[in-house]
Amino acid sequence: MIKRVEVQYRGVFQKTLGKYIGGDIVQIASRMGKVAFSNGRYSDAPERNGIPCKYFAFVSPDLSEAELEAECGSSYNADNVDVSVVVDDAMAQGVEPWGWHGIRPVNEKVGHKACLLVVTRRNHEHLLRFTAKKPQPYRLATLEGDASMAGLWVFKDDLTRERCLGAVAAVDPGIISIEAVEEYLLDTGKDADRARAARDAYEATLRRIKVVNPDQGIDWPHEIPVLPKWHEFEEGGVAIPAVKRGFKLGPRGQNRNDGFKHGTSKTERPVVRFDLCIKCTLCWADCPDECFDPTDDGLYDINYEVCTGCHKCADVCPVKECIVMVPELQFEDEKSPWEQHKKDPAGYIQWAEDKKGSTRIRYRHVTGEGVEKYKATPVPRNMDGPGQKEAL
Amino acid sequence: MTTAAQPTDVWEHELLLTGCQAVSHAVKLADVDVIAAYPIRPYTEVMDQLSQLIADGELDAEYIIADSEHSQFEIVKHASSVGARAFGGSSGTGWMYGMEALAVTATDRLPPLFLVGNRALDDPGAFGVEHNDAMSVRDLGWLICWASTAQEALEHVFIGYRVAEDKRVRMPMALAMDGGFLTHAQHMVKVPTLEAVKQFLPPYDLGDRVLHPDNPISVAPQVNEDWVMELRRQNWEAARRARGVIKEAYKEFNGVFGSHGSQYDNPYFTEYMTEDADAVLIGIGAVCMPTQTAARRLREKGHKVGYVNLRWFRPFPTEELRACLGRFKGVGVIDRDFSQGSPDNGGILLQDVRSCLYPLRGDGPNVINFMGGLGGRDISIDECIDMYERTLAAGRGNVPEEIVSWIGLRE
Ligand code: SF4
Ligand code: SF4
Repeated sequence: MIKRVEVQYRGVFQKTLGKYIGGDIVQIASRMGKVAFSNGRYSDAPERNGIPCKYFAFVSPDLSEAELEAECGSSYNADNVDVSVVVDDAMAQGVEPWGWHGIRPVNEKVGHKACLLVVTRRNHEHLLRFTAKKPQPYRLATLEGDASMAGLWVFKDDLTRERCLGAVAAVDPGIISIEAVEEYLLDTGKDADRARAARDAYEATLRRIKVVNPDQGIDWPHEIPVLPKWHEFEEGGVAIPAVKRGFKLGPRGQNRNDGFKHGTSKTERPVVRFDLCIKCTLCWADCPDECFDPTDDGLYDINYEVCTGCHKCADVCPVKECIVMVPELQFEDEKSPWEQHKKDPAGYIQWAEDKKGSTRIRYRHVTGEGVEKYKATPVPRNMDGPGQKEAL
Repeated sequence: MTTAAQPTDVWEHELLLTGCQAVSHAVKLADVDVIAAYPIRPYTEVMDQLSQLIADGELDAEYIIADSEHSQFEIVKHASSVGARAFGGSSGTGWMYGMEALAVTATDRLPPLFLVGNRALDDPGAFGVEHNDAMSVRDLGWLICWASTAQEALEHVFIGYRVAEDKRVRMPMALAMDGGFLTHAQHMVKVPTLEAVKQFLPPYDLGDRVLHPDNPISVAPQVNEDWVMELRRQNWEAARRARGVIKEAYKEFNGVFGSHGSQYDNPYFTEYMTEDADAVLIGIGAVCMPTQTAARRLREKGHKVGYVNLRWFRPFPTEELRACLGRFKGVGVIDRDFSQGSPDNGGILLQDVRSCLYPLRGDGPNVINFMGGLGGRDISIDECIDMYERTLAAGRGNVPEEIVSWIGLRE
């Protein structure tokens, strides 16, 4: 018998976390007398910010190491996993790790009755508004927590690692037992808090497992690319047609690469208050992915399909509260915000403020102390602002 | 079964390591003096780990980051010529970029060890495994050997240095490992004690050829037609002698490490379920995983098939392999490499296997070739079963006109 675990994580920010969870499962399973090994999906580029990547752990109670290797070790991917651990709930919207892969459902590889385990503060119903329907029932478990992110290559030690191990033991004790998790953490960490965090997560997760039936979830809207046969494309080392040059003012006015949109790399998206915008051009000029489309009224619309959520625009915007990053799972579409603003300026402001809420988050990069939350200072509507005037 | 290792005289502990990390730990235990590095995936993880070991105070070595692979390999070569045990490595086109340095390291008869994390020769960009990079030095006087587990990779750093540095050999050593499958997978790996390694691996001694102020010599002057033939003949002799030295090294290895570690019955290749087989597949590297499982499944159904996992590619184990493969009716050669325009337009391994079997003429097996897993494409167990079935058919005389076929191709 083989148990397969996949950890879906974000490139750079969660690279070490993904590898640690995979490696921990191997070590815990080994202590239980099982055979195990771990690897990552090799075609991923985990050195790219936010890109959805995978790490795997394979465990068997009865196979030899060579047999387990043969079944799982000679592929860069894994099918039919028993547990898929998702350490950033925004990936529920889909994962597109590289070109020609397409935006795939986060539960794509979750097998019959297997478990999708998501670190999230949202409930099952909320997550199911994004995940694809599957032909067979599976389980969805939630582990309360935020996406554990830190600065470049820095591992944020916020016990997500230990808590995930406890949760894996809860959703499938056939992989690792909670006792073995605790013992391992006590032996290696010499810190009772770590083992306790795993145990608490175990208990909590047991209460948060729900069966997802085949009718639950959405019809997957994204197309999966079909690659050509060897005689179907021109010889010469894959020459891809360039993105056709094209630019006009307005939403989606610039031609972009449809083969790799990159938008599933984001955990948060920028929400713009067009009424506050002073048309300084900084967001448009500084966005590394050229997501802003200039509009005929001098504003800058955002194409969320290609936004990677890098925070740059929110950082450079000189106007308080004009661009604010908001967790991705509050949005169910990628409609042009500028069009909404044009249709109903007051309604748009209301909508934007509802999405933003009153809590703001700051990442204290590299301190390892986690996020800092603070209260937003409300900014009055600017019905006379440059952005607003043209709209009215 | 993998369990926490009990410390013994030879095995210190068991650690969770990737293939690259296993090699790095071995480099530390081999007491390497000079490391030159230049990044390219998948090799990069070796240099990362080595710099970590140095930063942690666990390894005392000169660590030089070069401006390119060419300089990197030159540094390794020169370090080796002053009597330092030297380590380098690369992957794919990075390895090819340093080709001039690789050629002269061999003609200067210096014995550093390089890790080749096998990678496709891009363009277009591809990280996945292909064996053409390591095989590109096959005619230049190199020792080339593949590890097929992280444990083997660790052990072959010791075996590699011992063979390469032997006075009768003195050839550079390319230790190859499949990119991704081996370089990046985390396994529990047994790590030996320093004492055991020291017992197996004597200090590097270049004797009178060491470049040193106390030993003023000039290496590799202009010699032209007066010397080159004789030099080549010396290299030829060394490659012949290496076969014997390799055998000695494994015998000694089994003696020092054998009771709890790998036991190598045959240094050159490992036979799996080949006894009384009608047909076998032969391949290199991580493809041994699905092929062995497929063999087991077919055996359960009564088909007599087996697998030969080739470890040493240079020197090529001609006699041993002829004796082995000569026992079967069909042989399917799996090439994770390519040699377009070669006699059968197939793989590189195919050519060597066929010429090794040639003296058997009509008494030898029917040989067919599978091109598979290029650029890291999966080779599934089902595809292996298909290859066995076709090799069985070839063994029964059903040899297709085109002996090369492509596995796992979109066609
Ligand atoms: S967060 Fe802003 S700057 Fe970054 S990609 Fe998205 S739109 Fe561009
Ligand atoms: S949204 Fe902010 S950064 Fe962008 S143009 Fe307006 S004021 Fe400048």
